[in-house]
Amino acid sequence: MRVNPAALWLGAILQIKSYGITDVGLKRDGNEDSFSVEDSLGLYIVADGMGGHLAGEVASNISVEIINKVFRKWVEKDTSEDEIFGEPDSSLSRKGNYILGGIRLANRVIYELALEKKEYHGMGTTVVVLLVTPSLIIAANVGDSRIYMVRDGEIERLSKDHSIVAEQVEMGMMTEEEAENSPLKHVLTRNLGSSEEVNPDIFEIEPANNDRFILCSDGLTDLVSDRELLEITENETGPEAVCKGFIDLVLKRGAHDNATIISLLLTDIERPKNGLLKRIGFLIEDIIIRFGKFVKKIIP
Amino acid sequence: MARLVLMFNKQVVKEYPLMKDSVTIGRNEENSIQINNLAVSGYHARIDAAGNDYILTDLQSTNGTFINDKRVVSQKLSHGDNIIVGKHVILFVGAGEAADSKSSALKSDLDKTMMLDTAKQKELLSKQKESGQTPELSTKIGVVSFIEGADLGEIELKKKLTKIGKADTSEIQLSGLFMPATAATISRRPSGYVITTMGGKIKVNGEAIKDSVALKDFDTIEVGKVKFQFYQKETSEK
Repeated sequence: MRVNPAALWLGAILQIKSYGITDVGLKRDGNEDSFSVEDSLGLYIVADGMGGHLAGEVASNISVEIINKVFRKWVEKDTSEDEIFGEPDSSLSRKGNYILGGIRLANRVIYELALEKKEYHGMGTTVVVLLVTPSLIIAANVGDSRIYMVRDGEIERLSKDHSIVAEQVEMGMMTEEEAENSPLKHVLTRNLGSSEEVNPDIFEIEPANNDRFILCSDGLTDLVSDRELLEITENETGPEAVCKGFIDLVLKRGAHDNATIISLLLTDIERPKNGLLKRIGFLIEDIIIRFGKFVKKIIP
Repeated sequence: MARLVLMFNKQVVKEYPLMKDSVTIGRNEENSIQINNLAVSGYHARIDAAGNDYILTDLQSTNGTFINDKRVVSQKLSHGDNIIVGKHVILFVGAGEAADSKSSALKSDLDKTMMLDTAKQKELLSKQKESGQTPELSTKIGVVSFIEGADLGEIELKKKLTKIGKADTSEIQLSGLFMPATAATISRRPSGYVITTMGGKIKVNGEAIKDSVALKDFDTIEVGKVKFQFYQKETSEK
């Protein structure tokens, strides 16, 4: 898909090529993952549900729907940070707070529903959210689904796994390799739905041309290493080929879980620049200030 | 082999392989798993092997034993169960992660993502109203300390993305004849802080950077004529 979301981000332009895919895999009966690709908003979401029967599917679906819906509403109304769901986070931009609010709201809804309905008891979901604008990339996550950025030949995670083993690795109590092989690998410390409040990790960075992003559930990352993710992302022609390449590899390796992938490619970023007049204005302002200081010096 | 993982505040304290047919949990040091905490009874609970299964039994403890969020007297353990004893959580990891796993059903169960159930733990904590001296993961915040060219002292990098430049919207506003509106940004990422040039002449430790560079403690950064040092300090804020 090739869309120009300039309508929402006035004064700045970028091109996003995007593709999303999900596959039930070879071992599971149903698909508990949900995802959404909203090029008009620059908003991309993957959620990996958990819980018996259809509960996991319900939880992941709710999170995607709610985050999309409230984000769109808040952007269209340019809602103030103070009016989002919960206390705003001053370390984040306004849109970062919209995503924070959306995740919190989705968590609360899933939590309440799980308490209310017997068949939904114990349901939950992970979520990863990526917002792309010409001036800012925002990445948010809860759980062990991931966001990767491929830039200048390197791959970097823009999400933090909320699992027991990841926390142990961070504290230096376990190596990455031990974590990979640990029986506790899939035990999460945070998800949407298990408690009243949730604390997502959110990162904000500046976009660059030819940035590539991958959002995915652990059905992919359980079977494909970061190194392989980088190679395939760089060697395939575009997001659709990247997604299909990943799914082929996952199926070849047994596909024990549902796998969901969104792949993005950013090009033609044009930030609103300071026009020539404004730059001359800056220069004149500088000269006047300096001249003023100089005058003060000679005429006390 | 099945095992028990003792955890406190989401952190693993110790792992116990279930080697014996019977394991006891309690405050008394005669227990196989001793938990030295007032919320735990002397002999709090017992786990017995029964064929391929394990049965948990509460030993009429004062504060009760919970599996996931349910108080139990006696119950068969399933892989991934959270046994809550006072303020501690004991995770039951069933046999089957071994390569010789006899049932693939069990193996696929291990692949399933589970949530560590701490909701009940939190509830118990508030009920017992014991002073919550909980050790927290320390968090660090980046700081830039100005050396030359600007009289800004020290600035904490409180934003996830800090813009440096002449524009009014910059978190770190610098003046200067040739200072761009945004000369550089410093972003906080999962791997740490990263500085990225946005059109300004940026040097890190004397070397001009092309795109982005990860920052280490006490790196010296030059933005045009302004020079400052980066470091991280402990913070109590989340």
